[in-house]
Amino acid sequence: MWVRQVILCTTVLLAIMLVQLTLLSRLGLPGATPDLLVVSVVAISFAYGPGAGAAYGFAAGMALDFSPAMDGTIGLTALLYLAIGALAGPLVDPRDRSVPVVIGVVALAAGAMPLAIALLETGLGNVRIDWGQVPLLVLSSALYGVILSPLVLPPVGWLVRKITPEALL
Amino acid sequence: MFSQRTRILLTALLVASLTFVILDLRGGRGPFASLQTLVSSTVGGLERAGATVVSPVTGVRQWWGTWGDQRERIARLEQENLALRSMVVRSAEDRARADALDSLLRVAGAGRYRIVPAEVIAIGPKQEFAWTVTIDAGSRDGIEKDMSVINGDGLVGRVQAVNRNSSTVVLLTDATVSVGARIAGSEEVGILSGTGRQDSLEFQVLDPLATLRQGDALVTFGSRGGRPYAPGIPIGQVVEVSGSAGQLARIATVRPFADVSTLTIVGVVVRPPREDPRDSVLPAREGQPGASGLPTLPTASPSATAESDAVPVTKEPTPTVTPQPSGGPTDGMAEPSGEPTSAPPQEAPASFVPNAGSVGPRPASCLPTSSRDPACG
Repeated sequence: MWVRQVILCTTVLLAIMLVQLTLLSRLGLPGATPDLLVVSVVAISFAYGPGAGAAYGFAAGMALDFSPAMDGTIGLTALLYLAIGALAGPLVDPRDRSVPVVIGVVALAAGAMPLAIALLETGLGNVRIDWGQVPLLVLSSALYGVILSPLVLPPVGWLVRKITPEALL
Repeated sequence: MFSQRTRILLTALLVASLTFVILDLRGGRGPFASLQTLVSSTVGGLERAGATVVSPVTGVRQWWGTWGDQRERIARLEQENLALRSMVVRSAEDRARADALDSLLRVAGAGRYRIVPAEVIAIGPKQEFAWTVTIDAGSRDGIEKDMSVINGDGLVGRVQAVNRNSSTVVLLTDATVSVGARIAGSEEVGILSGTGRQDSLEFQVLDPLATLRQGDALVTFGSRGGRPYAPGIPIGQVVEVSGSAGQLARIATVRPFADVSTLTIVGVVVRPPREDPRDSVLPAREGQPGASGLPTLPTASPSATAESDAVPVTKEPTPTVTPQPSGGPTDGMAEPSGEPTSAPPQEAPASFVPNAGSVGPRPASCLPTSSRDPACG
């Protein structure tokens, strides 16, 4: 169970990173860059609960923080993804997870990311933060989260049921 | 809310990420430089591979197209049609890439920059507020930190970090970037800063009495040894001037020539030119040929190279120096270190045809096909 769970999470993370860094960031869409990773963090947190969600979020954030073309403070994305991974699962009881609720959680998490980054980076004294752009970034990021969640949540859920069926008991 | 075990795990992870934040803030990336290099190389490799697979977004469309129902002949024909259409699109894209390379080579040839061409393979997320991109050339191709990065339109940015196969470029629109810039056709210099917005840079001219007009073009002033910025690279055009002559804070808004949001092919200046190309790299102005401001364009380079030879002094002084109230102090600054204007005659470049057309001889740089050639790096 543990081994399969770790393998599944690693595979999902690598696949998501690849799509995120090579495809989504190159599309040049208006507003924020669509954040596939945060959607996957929510998906893992829903599937395996806060512990695994937090660990996955931490790993995803670290991978993103260290990847090229990122120049933020190292560890910050990890911290935020960790929080999302820990909170998303317990936020909604498994019995209440209808489609709109799940998508709402994703939108909330995706929208919170730019705001939290702007807040924390400002607190840490980063001169790049332009608060005029923040509302647009928050809205567009939440919107992209809504658009991306049907592409991420069902496949991840299917993989979880297929590979680690005992996790859902 | 959480079980005992989860709480311990959460605390550990929280402490770990905070540790990273604090270590990073302490300055430098010393404590985990090697880790970062490792991850960067791995991810950079993945990005390269991924970029090769998904690079033309039009290709994705064709890929999806092949997943369709293949039983019916119509479907096959439709597919073929789609494939042909995407081929047309892709050949247009190839042409666009060829054009991008052509104009990059024009700039490199006109300024005698030795460049290594590279392709943008990843773009930093905008919600981080940093304007950075990853290019597919690294230390193996001779890229080093603080080299200028240009494209066919002008300055793009500088190299910030180098891995083996890829490097990170910080673009000139980034809010942390400042470039020493000179107004083309004069000796006035100033500091150009990124604002984090794509279409506006802030230019602060050092001499409060300098004439600064809308439409003035800016070129890089050049740093010692050409790093981080080689001299003479076109940067952008003044679109708005606030404050009048004599006022202390005169700030102009500048629109960069290069569109940093749609970068594909860029060139890294691995060796700056031996002498400042002055304004010769700037594209010809369509609106007012020969009008005030840029009298130097057609004549500057021939005179600069010929004068050193044997031309008598009856010739009027180099037209790049326009009379101005405070030419004295800035004069010395405007000439970068190195040999000023004494190129040996055989160096008189045939490629100095700045405005003669888009294609000219291009000896000064490496052709893209041979970019991995060690002789070019």
